Amino acid sequence: MRLEKCWFCSSTIYPGHGIQFVRNDAKIFRFCRSKCHKNFKMKRNPRKVKWTKAYRRLHGKDMTQDSTFELERKRNRPERYDRNVAENTLKAIKKIDKIRVAREARHHSMRMKGKKAIEQQAAAKELEQSIHLVKAPAALQEDPSLTLPKIRVTVSRSQTEDAWKNNDNAGNPLTWWHRKLNSTLSYASLCN
Amino acid sequence: MVQYNFKKITVVPSGKDFIDIILSRTQRQTPTVVHKGYAISRLRKFYMRKVKFTQQNFHEKLTAIIDEFPRLDDIHPFYGDLLHVLYNKDHYKLALGQINTARNIIGKIAKDYVKLLKYGDSLYRCKCLKVAALGRMCTVIKRIGPSLAYLEQIRQHMARLPSIDPNTRTILICGYPNVGKSSFINKITRADVDVQPYAFTTKSLFVGHTDYKYLRYQVIDTPGILDRPFEDRNIIEMCSITALAHIRAAVLFFLDISGSCGYSIAQQAALFHSIKALFMNKPLIIVCNKIDLQPLEGLSDDDIKLVMEMKAEASQTVIAQGDEPNDESVFLTMSALTDDGVIAVKNAACERLLNQRVEMKMKSKKINDCLNRFHVAIPKPRDTRERPPCIPQAVLEARAKANVEKEKRKLEKDLENENGGAGVYSANLRKHYILANDEWKEDIMPEILDGHNVYDFVDPDILQRLEELEGEEEGFQLEAEAEEKYFEIDGKELTPEELEALAEIRKKKSLLIQEHRMKKSTAESRPVLPRKFDKDRKFTSERMGRQLSALGLDPTAATNRARCRSVSRRGQKRERSLAREGEDGDAMDIDGEQSSKKLRTRSRSRSKSRSKSQPPGEVTPGEGFRNSSQKLKALKIAKKSVKIRNKTARRGEADRVIPNLKPKHLFSGKRSIGKTSRR
Repeated sequence: MRLEKCWFCSSTIYPGHGIQFVRNDAKIFRFCRSKCHKNFKMKRNPRKVKWTKAYRRLHGKDMTQDSTFELERKRNRPERYDRNVAENTLKAIKKIDKIRVAREARHHSMRMKGKKAIEQQAAAKELEQSIHLVKAPAALQEDPSLTLPKIRVTVSRSQTEDAWKNNDNAGNPLTWWHRKLNSTLSYASLCN
Repeated sequence: MVQYNFKKITVVPSGKDFIDIILSRTQRQTPTVVHKGYAISRLRKFYMRKVKFTQQNFHEKLTAIIDEFPRLDDIHPFYGDLLHVLYNKDHYKLALGQINTARNIIGKIAKDYVKLLKYGDSLYRCKCLKVAALGRMCTVIKRIGPSLAYLEQIRQHMARLPSIDPNTRTILICGYPNVGKSSFINKITRADVDVQPYAFTTKSLFVGHTDYKYLRYQVIDTPGILDRPFEDRNIIEMCSITALAHIRAAVLFFLDISGSCGYSIAQQAALFHSIKALFMNKPLIIVCNKIDLQPLEGLSDDDIKLVMEMKAEASQTVIAQGDEPNDESVFLTMSALTDDGVIAVKNAACERLLNQRVEMKMKSKKINDCLNRFHVAIPKPRDTRERPPCIPQAVLEARAKANVEKEKRKLEKDLENENGGAGVYSANLRKHYILANDEWKEDIMPEILDGHNVYDFVDPDILQRLEELEGEEEGFQLEAEAEEKYFEIDGKELTPEELEALAEIRKKKSLLIQEHRMKKSTAESRPVLPRKFDKDRKFTSERMGRQLSALGLDPTAATNRARCRSVSRRGQKRERSLAREGEDGDAMDIDGEQSSKKLRTRSRSRSKSRSKSQPPGEVTPGEGFRNSSQKLKALKIAKKSVKIRNKTARRGEADRVIPNLKPKHLFSGKRSIGKTSRR
């Protein structure tokens, strides 16, 4: 029993899955699912189909050459069984896996290295160019920083005068009979 | 060959069938269409053709019959006699002769009528001639009908005759009825002859085949023969007599010494003596059957004497041949029931026959042809020393040891049998593995681990390689960390307020794009109204004020101006307000017409507490009416147009409109129960 690789997307094919196609020149094509099989029948080139491993490797999105890959090679000569070797192999597989995953992560981060700088530059440029959408040129002249303008609200005097009437000293709004009391008091003061 | 295979004779049709066949063939295979307007020669030719065609067909078929039936004189006398016995030679010949005459008569008829047809002068006369000719031919055939039937019967019977080759090695079995001849042949061959307690169970000859010394022998079973004068014999007995007479075979004369056949030994002996003439030149064996019922020793003296006489006779034939008078090859006992001595009898008979035939061949002239072609080369001995094959001692010892071992060794097969047999026990194939450590023989190694094939990783020095790898990896990690430190600060980060502004910008941009997309899609079908005819009252001065203040400008001036210049305020005086001092107050136009009471009283402010319903004639700017009277008129016309239709309850535009004639949900799907004749 062997785990094979899908010819189209390069994912592993577990036993019981997929289709094998044997061409007249005896070349075997294995597919992991009907999606890959149908793409193959449509004569699509996996190197041009974005989600396949072939594309990703070709365009440098995934790691191509690495010593971890050399450790996993199809060997055609059968080896005589040796318990120690088997044990070591099994342990080694796990470690190699870990290392490979770490390396792939590093490759990815290397790939994404300059992204932050570019994004920041782009953001700064956009801000500078489009600030007029949120800030009027007059406001920009007064306050040349590239931030949202401060909203000015004019408050009429009556409003400010009524403020103490409608709110008590602590600034809490008064109930209606408090207000009535205040107004009668003021009326009374005016009369007197 | 006619001799052997009477099965190939074609079926002889009955008289009527014969006529039907020929006439229908004439009908089909000659032209059928003729008119009286044709030229006379053409007419004559037409009918002559029919007559000749019919005659030819009759001739062919009758010739075929005559040729295929065997001529009794030409075939082997055995078959000739057999057929005579069965069918009567004279009768047979007569029938065939009749067929022959019929053939000739038909030929003559045809000739005559063709001659007459040559002078036929009209279609009708020619036709009559043809009819007469055909009719006469058919009568001839009708007359020989009985012969045809007889020949057909003979043919069927002949087809079922056993295929006996008179020239090959044959063993003939004869004797009284019920002595055990058929049982014997059943034993030594694959023939399945009926064996029954009554006499004359076997009514005809049966053939079986048996092998001896790589040669095939025919064994012929005959019906029983009774002791009667020759003339009184019936057909069945005559069959066996014929066989005896003509076939050069070894004869096994069967004796029933127990008498259970119903005939005494005396009678059987008498029969023997009466037909011993037929045993001339044939190897004869006397076989005593049914010794399980009556052993030979237990016979009475008279019987023994008779038997001995027969034996003597048989021996004489042997002597006549020139061979040694071996007792065993002349007189044998057996029991067909218990298989006792059956093979011995067969072997004796075959042996005797073979010897006789070989001798005959040797004596004949033909043998010289064969002998000339043989030469057996025998190397001349150099000297009289003996030279046996030389086997080295070691080999002999090894052989001996191997034999001993073979007997002592326990085989896998024995092991299998011990542990439950073939279906239960499965052999342990790992027993013979050659490994560094024998403890590992029963180890199970996984083939797959974490999505990898383990066999792809197997390597004796995998540990070393793993160490190298880990070393590499550490190196890489250090490098990566070092680089990261250099790479930390960029310095161009935006402050949170700037980020806020950026977010706001992006939001606004996306809003613009969305609006544009909506407008684009409905651009062709949407009417473009100027903003002053804004039914939904979106574009108010408050909104404008809010937007301006969001942009960072002071909205008061703009909102005031907008309010002053709005339609609802036209004709109203400027509002005096403290806040307005110092502002530019525009001179307002007092348009007397517009200051109608309705406009004034109608509130334009969008207060939620007030309803939006309007009196019917009131025209809103976006509708397309010039003034309210026009609108009222339009309404009136509309009502009038539907009045009659509604009153008479007719179907209108809005009635029974099926917007979607075949909605998918009503026309698709299966039902679990019920019919789908309506949906």
